[in-house]
Order: sequence, then structure tokens, then C-alpha cells
Amino acid sequence: MRNDSRDRPIIDVRRLGKTYPGQVEAVKEVDFQVAPGEVFGLLGPNGAGKSTTIGMLTTTILPSSGTARLAGYDVARQPLAARRISSVVFQDAVIDRPLTGRRNLELHARLWRVDQSIARDRIAEGVEMFGLDDIVDRPVATYSGGQRRRLEIARALVSSPRVLFLDEPTVGLDPRIRHELLDVIGTLRARSEMTIVLTTHYLDEAERLCDRVAVMRLGEIVALDTPAALLAGLGREIVELRVAGDAQAGLAVLQAQRIADDSAFVVGSTLTVPLRDRSAADAIAAIGRIGLPVTSIGSRPPTLDDVYLRLTGDRISAAA
Amino acid sequence: MSTLASPVPVARKAPAFISLQALATLVRRRFTLTARTPRELIVPLLTPVLFALVIAPALRNALHTSAAYEAYVATGTLGLLIPLNTMFAGLGVIGDRETGAQPELLAAPIPRTLLVLANLVVALGVTALQVGVLIVAALARGIDFNASASGTLWFAAAATLFAVGMYGIAETLAARVPRQEEYISRVPAIAIVPWFLAGSLFPIVAMPQGLTYFSKLLPLTHGLALVRYGLLGDRSGLENIWGMSSTSMMAALSLGVVALFAAVLTAVSIRVFTRSAVR
Repeated sequence: MRNDSRDRPIIDVRRLGKTYPGQVEAVKEVDFQVAPGEVFGLLGPNGAGKSTTIGMLTTTILPSSGTARLAGYDVARQPLAARRISSVVFQDAVIDRPLTGRRNLELHARLWRVDQSIARDRIAEGVEMFGLDDIVDRPVATYSGGQRRRLEIARALVSSPRVLFLDEPTVGLDPRIRHELLDVIGTLRARSEMTIVLTTHYLDEAERLCDRVAVMRLGEIVALDTPAALLAGLGREIVELRVAGDAQAGLAVLQAQRIADDSAFVVGSTLTVPLRDRSAADAIAAIGRIGLPVTSIGSRPPTLDDVYLRLTGDRISAAA
Repeated sequence: MSTLASPVPVARKAPAFISLQALATLVRRRFTLTARTPRELIVPLLTPVLFALVIAPALRNALHTSAAYEAYVATGTLGLLIPLNTMFAGLGVIGDRETGAQPELLAAPIPRTLLVLANLVVALGVTALQVGVLIVAALARGIDFNASASGTLWFAAAATLFAVGMYGIAETLAARVPRQEEYISRVPAIAIVPWFLAGSLFPIVAMPQGLTYFSKLLPLTHGLALVRYGLLGDRSGLENIWGMSSTSMMAALSLGVVALFAAVLTAVSIRVFTRSAVR
């Protein structure tokens, strides 16, 4: 069965699970669908199950339960067809270093059976788009980390996949190269209609690139929505109060006075209070009235880290 | 719209032709990588050439044996060259997995069996090249071979099937062993120890009876007996194994043993690789 309809998901994951030997449940029956042309993010710290999920979708990890379909192809029963319409950029460098960049690109074109003349055009276009003109005929062993990563993304695009998987594409890169790459991925999104599935534990990447984000923790999806909707749940501003004393009692007071709602939470001695109709001054005054000493105060717009913190009690950056 | 965004155009060809094309692509890739790794080409040659050109003549002089013994040892060194070369080829598989493009190949729309077969084709090609070098070197040293057309066929079939089986061991071990260091530490037990027991330097009947029986179970013993029958017209190795009067029957039986070895080890290597490739 094949599904080409644009109003149906190009990725359809239902109760997908993976249990490794030793009863290690890496992914616990997750469900999600991705629309054609969407940039979908899997966000979470190391060990959240992001890479295992990508591994199952790219047919290198066998699901223990559930189903996953790419463009209608079941990844477990029709792995060749699923692989034909997808490409992967792996977390680690996966490339033939003794070969030139061009040979690596040509190899991908041949294995994905792209017609030679079209492959030539695509390679030329990719080389230009990713700024590889000066290095593409050099052995990859001479490339810097950023150059190699750009080549790997260019390679994944040679077969013009309907689904592109980017597994932690910026991990290990210095900040300058990382931002260059984010620009490249952003450009890619604007220029093409391919569906992109991106895993990351960098919140800014998810906010900047993704149409929707699935937040993963310990193999489960704990939230799935657009970054804007996830952030909207935390209001327009967040005040963080570090207190010397019972922070839970402080939270109870704020909730009783309707300064904080159910989205406020406590981690250690820090109260994080999304503000909607009230101001930071109201929160500080309320805390002051019950005699709880406030050791520091901060106010800022909410981030996906706050979303993650509220859902899981951990910061992604700390957990990663 | 960018050409990068256009649908995937694929050639409309029969599946078998597509598999052959993919196999050819993988063979070219593996050969290019091997050619850029001189270690894989040169190191396996050193010991056998040393045996054929230096040790065999020295033994002949020291032990006052005939030129026939020199030819005996020279052909026996093929039993060292083939296992060493195929086992060294297995190092490339680990390199591919650890720092190379193996994950990309596993994500490609091709049957994963082709990855093993492509490696096998290149290992066979390189082994054939090295066997040729060894024979030419032996001829240049004045060692006399006495090969008929049919003898050459027996030799080629035995050497090829034995190399296929040994590569099966290499690929299986490479799939099971995480690091090159661990892999290398196991090579002597697999590639060198059997060589001493398989009639390489002396007939197997010269060993204690228990070891003689054991050596008859080694595919290498059968392979070397066939190589000597093919290249030297010497049927004594086959007689020591089978004790029959019909040389053709004995040769066919030994070839059957080597063919079974090749078939089983190739099947095992493909199964182990494809299972280990998918977690």
C-alpha cells in the first residue's frame, strides 16, 4: 500500500516501541504523525529515545512493537521501499574518509539509483549550496568537522528524499559552524518540499527550525505541539524566584492568590511562575507577605526548556 | 523548484539487474578503499613469500631434500597466504563500521546481503592477485610446477572455494568483534595454527595418529591436497586423507569438503552480518 496524498501523514507512527535485551525499554509505544513538507523535531536529552526512534524509522533498529510507515511503506515489512524514499544524516561522522567528497556524493547517487545526468546536476547544485566547491575533490580525511557535516547533508540530498532524517546534526560542532549549519537547514526548508525529522537536545534549534516538536523523556512523548503552542502554555513572561525556605509553601500561596496557576512548578529551591494577567511584582509581594526570604529574582520570556522542566522536572541541558 | 526537491527518479530495470548494479558499485567502493590501504595488500604477502623463497630453499639445503620438497613447501605457503589475506580483509569491515560509511550503506535501498558479497568479491580478487604473485615469485626462484589444464582447474576451484570459506570466517568474526585490536589477536589462531597441522610443511601422516585424524577434518588439509594435485600432479596428499585408488574420486570428495566449507561459512557470515546490522 502506498500513500501519496498530501493530506495524509508521510510518517505514521503508531504504538511504536523498542525494548533492548535486558528489558531496557528505549521507546515506549509512541504515536505521532508527520505531514508532508513538515519539519518535525524530536527533542530530549540523551537517553530519551530520539535516536532509537530514528533508527526504527530508518530500518536499522527493529521495532519490538507497533508500526511505523514512511509514505505508506511499513519500515519493518517493506524496508527497501522505505529506505528508497528517505535519507539520513547520522549523529556521528559516517563517510568514507579516504575518498573525495565527490566520490562520496556519487556513491550515494548510485546506491539510491538516481539517473546519472540528474545526479550530476544535483551534485553540482549541492556543492554550490553547501559551499563545497573548493574541497569537493579532496579526500574527506582533510575536511574540518563542519565541512564534513555539510558534505553529509549534501550527500543525503542527492537522492532528493521525500523524508530527510537529521540525527543531532549539530552535535560536536563549534558554535559558529553550528549556526552556519542551522542557516543551511533553514534554507533547505524554505527551498524544498521534503519532510524533515530532526532530533536535537538544543532548544534553540527546535524553536528555530521545527513546525512541531515532540518532547521525549525516558522513551515517551510527554508533549507534542508547535513550539509556539508549547510556549503559549507558559504565558508571556516567566518569573523565577529562588527562596530560602519551603518553596512548595510559596507556590501554594501564589496559587491560592491566583498569581500562579497549574503551570507553575518548583524545582529545588526555585519557583518558576508563568505570568499571565499578573506582574512579577505581584508574585514577589505575595511571597514577601508570608515571610519567605527571596534570594534571587529573574524574569524572562519562556523557553522550551521551561516546557521540558515543567513536564519532567529536569532541564534538557542538564539531562543531556 | 530546486532540482534537489524533485521526486526521486529511479531507473526502471529488473530487480536482478538493479542488484548487480548495486553490487558493482559496492565492489568499486571496497576496491578503491582497499587499494588505498597498502597494509591490506602487502602484509599478508610477506610471510608466504618468505617461506616460499627463503625458508623452503634453506630447508632443502639443510635437510638435503630434493627440489620436490621446495615445490611442496611453496604450494603449502598458499595455505598461509589465503587465510592471512582474507582475515586482513575483515579488518576493513570493522573500519567501515567504526569510522567509515557502513551506517550509510545500511540505510541505502539495497539488500544488505550485497554488502557482504561485495566485500567477498574484492577479497577474492586481491587474494587471486597475491596467489599469482606468489606463484610467479616461486617460478622465478626456479621452483618447478607441473600443472595440466585439468590440474589448473582443480587448483583454481580449491583455492577459490577455500578463500570464500575463509572470508566467511573473517566477515563473521568482524561482525562479532567490536574492535580491530581484538580481531587481530584472534587471527593467528584462525589463520596460522591450522596451517601447521594441514600438511603444509610435511605430510599429515608424519604427525601422531590423533593429529592426523584431526587434520583430515580441516578444510585447509583438503584444499592443500587439491592444490598440490593440481599444480604438482602430486596425489599423495589426497591418498593420505582418503586412502582410495581413484584420484578423481578423492579429488572430488575433497573439493566437496571445501565447497561445503565455503557455502556454510558464507551463509553464516551473511546471516551474522544482517542480524548484527539491525539491532
